[in-house]
Amino acid sequence: MGTKDRYERLREQATTSERDSSPHTLLAVVSLAISLLLLAPLVWVFLRAGEIEFARAVELLTSDTTVSVTLNTLALVTGVTVASILIGVPLAILTAQTDLPFKRFWTITSALPLVVPSYIGAFAFVSAFGPRGVLADLLSPLGIEQIPTIYGLHGAILVLTLFTYPYVFLTTRASLLSFDGTVVEAARTLNHTRWEAFRRVTLPQIAPGIAAGALLVALYALSDFGTPAIMQYDVFTRMIYNEFGARRLDYASVLSMLLLVMALGILAVESRLSAGRDGAYVSSGSRRPGLIELGYWKAPALLFCGAIASLCLVLPIGILLQWLLRSGTGYSGGGFAFEAAYAWNSVGLAAAAAAICVVAALPIAYLSARGTSGVSSLPERATYVGYAVPGVVLGLALVYLGLRYVPFLYQSVILLVFAYVIRFLPQAVGTTESSILQVDPGYIEAARSLGYHPLSAFRKVVLPLVAPGIAAGAALVFLTTMKELPATLMLRPTGFETFVTYIWLVQGAGYYGQAAVPALVLVGLSGLSMLVILRREDTS
Amino acid sequence: MTGRNATQSRRRFLALGSATAATALAGCSGILGGGDGGDGGSDGEAGTTTGQQISLSDFRGSGPLVAQREAPGGTSIEDLPDLSGELTLYLGGGEGGLYLDLIELLEQRYPDFTANHRLEASSDLANTIIEENEAGASPADVFMSIDAGSLGAVANADATASLPDEALSTVPDAYQDSEGRWVGIAGRARAIPYNTNQISESDIPSTVQEFPEAAALENSMGWAPSYGAFQSFVTAMRLIRGDDETMSWLQAMQDHGITTYDDEFRVSNSCADGELAAGFANHYYTLRVQSARENSPIGLAFTEGDAGALVNVSGLEIINGTDQADLASNFVRHVLSAEAQEFFATRTFAYPMIPGVAPVGDLPRIDELNPPEINLTELADVAGTVDLLRDAGVL
Repeated sequence: MGTKDRYERLREQATTSERDSSPHTLLAVVSLAISLLLLAPLVWVFLRAGEIEFARAVELLTSDTTVSVTLNTLALVTGVTVASILIGVPLAILTAQTDLPFKRFWTITSALPLVVPSYIGAFAFVSAFGPRGVLADLLSPLGIEQIPTIYGLHGAILVLTLFTYPYVFLTTRASLLSFDGTVVEAARTLNHTRWEAFRRVTLPQIAPGIAAGALLVALYALSDFGTPAIMQYDVFTRMIYNEFGARRLDYASVLSMLLLVMALGILAVESRLSAGRDGAYVSSGSRRPGLIELGYWKAPALLFCGAIASLCLVLPIGILLQWLLRSGTGYSGGGFAFEAAYAWNSVGLAAAAAAICVVAALPIAYLSARGTSGVSSLPERATYVGYAVPGVVLGLALVYLGLRYVPFLYQSVILLVFAYVIRFLPQAVGTTESSILQVDPGYIEAARSLGYHPLSAFRKVVLPLVAPGIAAGAALVFLTTMKELPATLMLRPTGFETFVTYIWLVQGAGYYGQAAVPALVLVGLSGLSMLVILRREDTS
Repeated sequence: MTGRNATQSRRRFLALGSATAATALAGCSGILGGGDGGDGGSDGEAGTTTGQQISLSDFRGSGPLVAQREAPGGTSIEDLPDLSGELTLYLGGGEGGLYLDLIELLEQRYPDFTANHRLEASSDLANTIIEENEAGASPADVFMSIDAGSLGAVANADATASLPDEALSTVPDAYQDSEGRWVGIAGRARAIPYNTNQISESDIPSTVQEFPEAAALENSMGWAPSYGAFQSFVTAMRLIRGDDETMSWLQAMQDHGITTYDDEFRVSNSCADGELAAGFANHYYTLRVQSARENSPIGLAFTEGDAGALVNVSGLEIINGTDQADLASNFVRHVLSAEAQEFFATRTFAYPMIPGVAPVGDLPRIDELNPPEINLTELADVAGTVDLLRDAGVL
């Protein structure tokens, strides 16, 4: 415990001495400006909603449909979040703290499902487990005619969980790797059983990490449109989309506001869970707990890892390959030739979004990690609101505002990248912040005592140490941008196609074979960026 | 990155690091599909300085459904003024992607002509155009959509400019807007695909109202209620029979046992697979299944005089505020030429809109169908239909 006290003391000293320095104020102003800029488009939702009469708004909000869709959405978000924790945390512990064979391999396969767009995953699951799907075909010679339907709440939870649990896996693993292992050993010497040691020592330490991942999962589940639509489950995003399609913008904006309120609720819950994170992220160097020997749990552990990897990776890739092989004349169509330019467009957009997110995330993350008051994490919290907004709502807001206030930017790459930054900045903020928290504040203190200006102390001391975290954030933004569909469709310049717009187009026309190769390439390219995220562990 | 023209780079397959092999593969499957440049090149490659010699056979599809066709009647593109300039085209609906081949043929024919296109769901693009129009102007010159409802929505928002009389006069009144704000370019008939091993045509009632009582169809039908064409069909039923009867019909169909699919191509494929005895789908999906899977047990039936016999159209309108009005008008005339109509008939299996061109295969001629008498522009009221479908528990 002595180690921890020492760090706490150093932190205390550091924050005390930073308190009255002007860079903090500057940081706060910059962070606030960035978050206001990002939240500005959401004003559109309120403007549109404000056009309805009060009585009509109440009627819309209390209608049976609204109530049932609210309950549906809550059920989906809760189910996906809980299931992601149940999968992500054990996988993180297995790969970080046990003598699981082929740990490196399982680490990669556990993180990789994040690169599969959830709508492609959903199509794969419908192809595999839907009526007359691959599974039904396999089982019918055995006399099994009916399999339980994949559609509905359980199908939506299954698919969303399988392709978002890596958020929990990655954040939990990061906190497992960084927390002070000597504490666990101390607990063990005090005759705690392994489970007790985990529950009383490890769990409180990694809880903020779990919560951080769960937050990303919950907000993703809230904002995703494709998966619930494909799994035929009515949630807010699907209703909002239908209302926009039917040109009833008033109802759509009321629903969007309700969705934002739910996002704020999720943020509030996460805030409370991670209140104790200050201690959790403070690195104590290389003192990791000894490996847990799995013993005869080794086989079930391997089976668990293998089952998840099969469902998340082998199955969708297998289905994509099947589409490719089945693509006879009825499945491939003219006018749909894939062009290399689409790939370049995707990569260029994703790289630009990643670069801008990294730069914008730094001040916000630093302020949140080192800030001295409760409000210093406000900009960080604010960035999550954008993440929770469905791409279709953000897309429409930017179409509307772009046309009226910055027409020269309408249908430009700039506005499109801006949309990506609004949606994905919190991912960069999150990884950057956790890296900053792991840097001993004493280093800055030391640098400053040697006469460095706070900013140059940051540049010379902190930046090199947090670089891997920043790279991981950039990679995360890169791969989520590569996957983003609705805002890309609405905001891209005319004639400018990307991987996902192309995949969406050909599968929409029923030419699944044409979608297979770009989808596989998309997964492959995104997979490369995942290696950046995992490499961070080697250096931290 | 901004203004890159996708159509110009279409034939370019650049190497892309590790993705080289895969993108090249994608290119191949496009060419095998018979759509893109590839097969047009075989007889059209001997180009002249004024562009490639594009003949009727380039517009015409191939395969068993297309053999033995007569030469189409109507105005040939040879008799139309040349296309020249740059046109921004909003192309509505995934199916609309098939039309890119036609546009490419025109670009090959006229080297000075470029069509910059934006392809999204038809209702999304209609909304975009309306937003753009409200804000002052739309970058779009022409809206080409697979659905009269979305064309009607744009027209009702006063976002269209007038169409040339030469184009309007060749298309029957039923398939154009009564005020001439949009014109049909290809017909899409509602139809009943059915599995010929399981049932015969006589098992299929002649009106959709009788379907919930048809014993042969119990627990063996499929539909795709989230699909735009299906929603147009329900909108038509509401226009003809009112909301209450439509609601009862939707509920009766569910009680009768019906399976939901994402799109009507899947409904049609499922009929061919024997998973369904019959389904609700646009007619051309059945022809696509037949063309892809020879001797598959799928037939096509039509109802008469009701919403089930609705003939919706793909159509065109010129967008308000365009600075390319002449080019846009000339483009509309090209799309209604004998060659382009032959393209729609033989490549997309749609109903041609001009009398000189016949539909493919055994399809009844368009004047042999008995569509309901409704104004297609009124199909724009999708909102009420979505509500009704949701209340009925269908969506």
